[in-house]
Amino acid sequence: MNAPERSLKRVARAASGPHGAGARRPFVDGVEKVTGTARYTADLPADQALVGKILRSPYAHAELLEVDISEALALPGVHAVITGDACDMPYGVIPIAQNEYPLARGRVRYCGDPIAAVAAVDEATADAALARIRLRVKELPAYFKAADSRQPDAILLHENKPGNIERQVHNEFGDVEAGFAEADLVREHTFECAEVHHAMMEPNAALATWDAERGHLTLHSVTQVPYYVHLTLARCLRMDPAHIRVIKPFVGGGFGHRTEALNFEVICALLARAACATVRLLQTREECFLAHRGRPEQQTRIRIGLKRDGRITACQAEVVQRGGAYGGYGLVTILYAGALLNGLYDIPAVKYDGYRVYTNTPACGAMRGHGTVNARYAFESLLDMMAGELGLDPIEVRRRNLLKAPTETINGLKIMSYGLPECLDWVEQASGWRERRGQLGKGRGLGVACSHFVSGSAKPVHWSGEPHAVILLKLDFDGGVTILTGASDIGQGSSTIITQVVAEILGVDYSRLRIIANDSAITPKDNGSYSSRVTFMVGNAAARAAENLRALLITAAAKRLQVREDEVEWLGESAVVASDPAREVAFTDVVEEALVATGTLTVKGTFTCPEEFQGGKHRGGAVGSTMGFSYAAQAVEVSVDPDLGTIKVEKVWAAIDCGFAINPMSVEGQVQGAVWMGMGQAISEETVYEDGRHQVANLLDYRVPTMAESPEIDVHIVESIDPNGPFGAKEASEGPLSGFMSALAAAVEEATGARLTRLPMTPDRVFEALHPKSRPAREGAAGGNR
Amino acid sequence: MMSVETEIRFKLNGREVSLKVPVAMKTLAMLRDKLGMTGTKYACGEGECGACTVEVDGRTVNSCLMYAVDCDGRELVTIEGLRTPEGLHPVQQAFVDHGAVQCGFCMPGMIMQAKNLIENNPGLTREEAQRGLEGNLCRCTGYTKVLDAVEAVVSGKSCGSRP
Amino acid sequence: MPVMPDFELLRPDSAEAAVALHASRPASRYLAGGTDLLPNLRRGLADTATVIDLGGIAELAGIRVDADRVHIGAGTTLAALAAHPGIAAELPALAQAALAVAGPTHRESATLGGNLCLDTRCRYYNQSTPWREANHYCMKLEGDVCRVAPKSKRCYAAFSGDVAPALLALDAEVDIVGTNGRRTLALAEFYHDDGMRWLALDRGELLAAVRVPLAPGWSSGYEKLRIRGAIDFPLSGVAVALARDGERLAGLRIACTGVSSRPERIEGLDALVGQPLDDAALAQLEKLVLRGIQAMETTTASVPYRRKATPILARRLVTRLWTEAA
Repeated sequence: MNAPERSLKRVARAASGPHGAGARRPFVDGVEKVTGTARYTADLPADQALVGKILRSPYAHAELLEVDISEALALPGVHAVITGDACDMPYGVIPIAQNEYPLARGRVRYCGDPIAAVAAVDEATADAALARIRLRVKELPAYFKAADSRQPDAILLHENKPGNIERQVHNEFGDVEAGFAEADLVREHTFECAEVHHAMMEPNAALATWDAERGHLTLHSVTQVPYYVHLTLARCLRMDPAHIRVIKPFVGGGFGHRTEALNFEVICALLARAACATVRLLQTREECFLAHRGRPEQQTRIRIGLKRDGRITACQAEVVQRGGAYGGYGLVTILYAGALLNGLYDIPAVKYDGYRVYTNTPACGAMRGHGTVNARYAFESLLDMMAGELGLDPIEVRRRNLLKAPTETINGLKIMSYGLPECLDWVEQASGWRERRGQLGKGRGLGVACSHFVSGSAKPVHWSGEPHAVILLKLDFDGGVTILTGASDIGQGSSTIITQVVAEILGVDYSRLRIIANDSAITPKDNGSYSSRVTFMVGNAAARAAENLRALLITAAAKRLQVREDEVEWLGESAVVASDPAREVAFTDVVEEALVATGTLTVKGTFTCPEEFQGGKHRGGAVGSTMGFSYAAQAVEVSVDPDLGTIKVEKVWAAIDCGFAINPMSVEGQVQGAVWMGMGQAISEETVYEDGRHQVANLLDYRVPTMAESPEIDVHIVESIDPNGPFGAKEASEGPLSGFMSALAAAVEEATGARLTRLPMTPDRVFEALHPKSRPAREGAAGGNR
Repeated sequence: MMSVETEIRFKLNGREVSLKVPVAMKTLAMLRDKLGMTGTKYACGEGECGACTVEVDGRTVNSCLMYAVDCDGRELVTIEGLRTPEGLHPVQQAFVDHGAVQCGFCMPGMIMQAKNLIENNPGLTREEAQRGLEGNLCRCTGYTKVLDAVEAVVSGKSCGSRP
Repeated sequence: MPVMPDFELLRPDSAEAAVALHASRPASRYLAGGTDLLPNLRRGLADTATVIDLGGIAELAGIRVDADRVHIGAGTTLAALAAHPGIAAELPALAQAALAVAGPTHRESATLGGNLCLDTRCRYYNQSTPWREANHYCMKLEGDVCRVAPKSKRCYAAFSGDVAPALLALDAEVDIVGTNGRRTLALAEFYHDDGMRWLALDRGELLAAVRVPLAPGWSSGYEKLRIRGAIDFPLSGVAVALARDGERLAGLRIACTGVSSRPERIEGLDALVGQPLDDAALAQLEKLVLRGIQAMETTTASVPYRRKATPILARRLVTRLWTEAA
C-alpha cells in the first residue's frame, strides 16, 4: 500500500454558517432564470434586425467551382448575400492550426459546411434567397471513418497535412518495456467510443450590428469565450479589435460546444457589415449538431502491466480520433488523451501514440472532460478486467496505485492536492461495496471507477504575457460594489462563485454586490469558460481584487477611527477598533472616507499560473498542465434485463475532491450534471452519419437521457484544500464525468458476465454482447469478450 | 411574403389580449415574436424537448406544436405569469433555493410542467413527478435537484408567496 | 424559427362538414392534436393548402363505456385515454399504450385518431428538407428509391404508433366517415403493409371513432421497447390480449408496432388456443411473431436486434398475463 498518510485541514466556519466561501447559496441570477426574464441571445430585442440564414453544403467533399448568387441578390427584400469571398482569413482556436473559413472557399469538407449566407427582411425571403443560389461543384472522394482517411491513396482534406493526420503524438515517459517485463500480468484491449455531442439546450444564436458611420461592430452571441470570438472577428473581418464590442448575454449551456469561435458568429458579423444593418442569425437544432465540436469517435488500444498485488508497472495506449473536417481544438484533444493517462494514479512508465485524423464529418472539439473521457473509459475498464483476473477487488487495486501529494508525474504534471483516497473510501462505504458487491443477485451489478480533470489549463491558448485572469471591483458613492468580470457564466454558476469569493473577503451584505459580466466595452478580458479554469483562476483573481479593496477600506476606516490600520478589525458592514469594539464606523462612512480626494475606487486583482506549473518541456507538454487536479470516484449500480439487453442505472454514488466547496450546493449540481452526462454517453447518445449526412441531428433521435431513466445521484464532497486554489478550491464539473462509463461497464459485467467494450451500451449492443452468436448488426456494435 | 392574418382574443396570464396572427404561426412564435414574451423558449421546434411548455386552459402543451389561432377563446399561462407582486411562485422559489437551476434555458418549460403537476396531484410523489417531467429535457442538472425542488414544494418546505 | 407554409384553416363543426370541405379542397389535411402533422409540415414532409381543424367536432370527443363495448371518439386525447378509469380497468393494453406515447405534454394534445393515423417513419424520411435533398430524396416523398431497400418497389417506412397494436389485440373496429356516408372496418383492415399508403382510408375519409368490445375473462397489456424511458418512438412494441381457461389458453391475440409498415396482427395464434401455455407453445408463439414482422433499417437501432427482441417481448408479456390470469 502506498496510500498517503493524510488528514485534511478543515476550514473554520462560523456557527451561523458560512457567509461567502462555503455557503450553499442560490445562484445570483437564479430569479431571472426561473421567471423568464433572463435574456438569452435569441430573446434580445431585434425588431429592426434582418434575418440571417446560411446555405450549407449538401456534399461531404467537393470542389466549389461556382457559387452563383446573382438571382438571390436580385430578390426584393434581400439586403446581402455573401460567400467565401467575404472572408479570406482562415480562423481556428489554436493559432498554429487555423484552417477553417466562416464560408467555404474553394472546397467544402462536410455535409453542412457553410457556403453562402443571406440577410433579408424576413425569414421567408431569406429562405427564398437561399433557394436561388446555384452551386457548381466537382465531387471528391469523401471519408467518414478515420481508417478510410488514413488509406495511402486517400486525397488530402488539407494539403499541408499528409496522411490526413491533423496531429500525431508520440511520447514515452519512464521505461515502458521494463515496466511490462516486470509485470506479472500484461493485457491489451481495444475500446471504442461513438462520437457524442453537447446538445446544450439553447440553440446557437447571434445578433450583430454594424455601425456604418463609425465602422464599428457589436456582436451578441451565445459563446463561452467572448474574448476568442472578439479576436476571431478582428481577424476574419480584418478589423481593429478596438472597433469591435462583444457581449455575451445569458447562455443556455455550453459543455465545450462554444469554447471556440463558431462559423455562425463570424457569418452573422459579416452579414451585418455587408448589409450595413443589424442581423440576427438563429440556428436550428440541426445546425447546432452540424456546428458540432463534440467528443470524437475514438478507438483506444490500451495495454497495462500489473504486479500480482495490483501495482501498475506500465501503461501503453494508442488512440485514434476521428476529428472531422477542420482543426478546431483537435490537437489539444489528442494531447489531452495521452497527457491525462497520468495524474490519477502512480504509474512509473507511460507510452502514448495518438492520431487525430481529418474526415469529411463535422469538426470535433472540446466537450466536457476534453480528451480524457474515452481514454479513461479504456484505462479503468482494462484495470477492472485485469483485477478480476488476479482476483483483486477493484477498489483495492486502485488504492494500491494512489499518488501522494505534493508530487510531480513522469510527464511533468504537478499534483498539489489529492483527495482521491477519501473519495474511494466514501464511495465504498456509501454504495455498500463490501457487503453488496457480488450479492445483488442475477441481473444486478455494482461497478466503480476513478477520474480527474484539470482546474484550468495552466498555459492559455493565446500566449500574450498577460495575467491569466483579471477582476475589477468598482466602489462608488452609493456604497455598492460592482464586480466586473469577463468570465462567462454559461449556467455553471461562475458569477455566483465569483460573488461569493468577494463577499467572503469583503464581508459585506450580498445586497451591496452586483456582478456585471461579459461586455468587452466594460468588463476586463477573460480567456473564457473552458478547461474548468474559472473557479480556480478567476476565483483567485477575485480574491485578490477583494483583498486589495479591503485594504483600501481598512486604511479609510483607520483614518475615521483615528487608529493605526493594524488596530482595525474589519467586520464587513462596519469596522471597529479591535481593542475597543464599541468604537465602530459603518461601511457607508468608510466608503465616504475612502473616496475623499480619489473619487470612485476601481481595484484590480489578477492571477497567473506560474511557469513551473505550465507542464513538461516536451512538445505539447503544456496540455494537461494545471495548478490543481480535481479527483473523483463513483460507484454505479445497474440492473440489466438480459433477455432484451436493456440497462437501467439504478443509483450513482459520486465523491468529488474539489479542494474546497465555495458553494457546496453548486458543486453537487455540477457533479450530478457531469456524472449524468457521462451516463448519456454510456447508454444512449451517439451521432450517426450516413454517407456523411448527420442522421440524428435532432433531440428525438440524438438521445439525451430523459428524467424517466435518470437515476438519483448522491454526491459527497471531499475537501483536500489545494494550496493554490481560492480558499483551497479546485474544479468540480468535468472530472466526475469520465468515470461513469467504466463503472457502468463493470456493473454490467457483474450483472451479466459480459464486458462491454463499446459505447454507447444501447440495448442492441448489450443484447449482442449477451448473445455473441448474433452476427454483428451495425457498425460499432458491442462484442462480448471475457 | 404576405400572409392572411386572423384576429384572435384570449387571456394571457390573466389579461385579455387580442391580436392578429398569421394562420401558420405557432403559439411559441406568437409569444416570442408578436408579444415579446421571450420567457418561453425555443430549443427544438418540434416537440422533442419541452422547453416551450405553457399552460392552456389548465393543461400543459408544447407551444411549438400549437397554432396561435388555436389560442382564440382560451386561457394561457406562461412562465411570466407565475410571479406575483408578493414574490416568486413557490415552484420558482424552490427551484432557485434547491439549486435546480443551472443554465436555466429549460427552466421555463420545466417549471410550468412542475407547477401543473403539483397543482393537479396533491401528494405528488417523487416517482410521479419523475414520470410527469419526463418530457422536459435538461442538459445541466441530471434532474436530481429538479426533483428535490419539486419534493420540497409538495411537502411545503419551500417558502414562496403562495401556498 | 423556420416559417411554416401558409394555408387556409377551416374549422367544421361536424364530421360530414369536414369531409365535404376536404372533398372541395384538393390539397387539404385534417388536423387533430398536431403533434405529428406540425413537425412534418415544418420539415417539409407534408404540404397543404388547407388545414381542416377537427377540434370543433363534438362527435369526435368523448369516451362511452357500454355493457359490451367501449366507444371512443377519435379526438380523445391520449392523456384522457390513459387516465380514464374504465379503460385502465377493462382495457389495460390501451391505457398502457396511450401512456407510452412520447411525453406528458404530447399526450395532452395528441389524439387517438392521430396516433392511429400516424405517418410512417424512417431514418431517411424524417429529416429536414436540405437533408433529404442532399440524399436525393426517397420513394416516400419526392424520390424514386426506397433507401431502406433500394431494389424494392415499395416503401418500407415503419408504422410507429403505440396505440394501434393495443387496439388490434383488443379486436377493435373503427368508424369512418366519407363523402359517401359511414362505414365500419375491423382495425386489422384499416392498415396496408405499405409505407406510403398504410391507411385504408379513401381520399377525404375521416376516422371518427373506435369501438372496442369488452370481453369478460380477457386480460391485456402493452410493452414497448425503446432506448430512453420516454419521448422515443418504439423500436418495437407488442400488445397482447389473452384469455385463460384453467390450464388452457382460451384466446390469444398479439399485435406489434414499429417492425413493419403497418401495425401487425400476428397470424396463426389460433393453433395455440385450447392448449396449455407450455414451453413448446411459447416457442411456437415466438416463431409466429418472428414470421409476422418485417423490421427494416428504418431506425438507427439494429435490425437483427429488433427482429429478435420482438418475439421475446411478446413471450414475456404473454407469460405475465397468463400467470396473472391464474
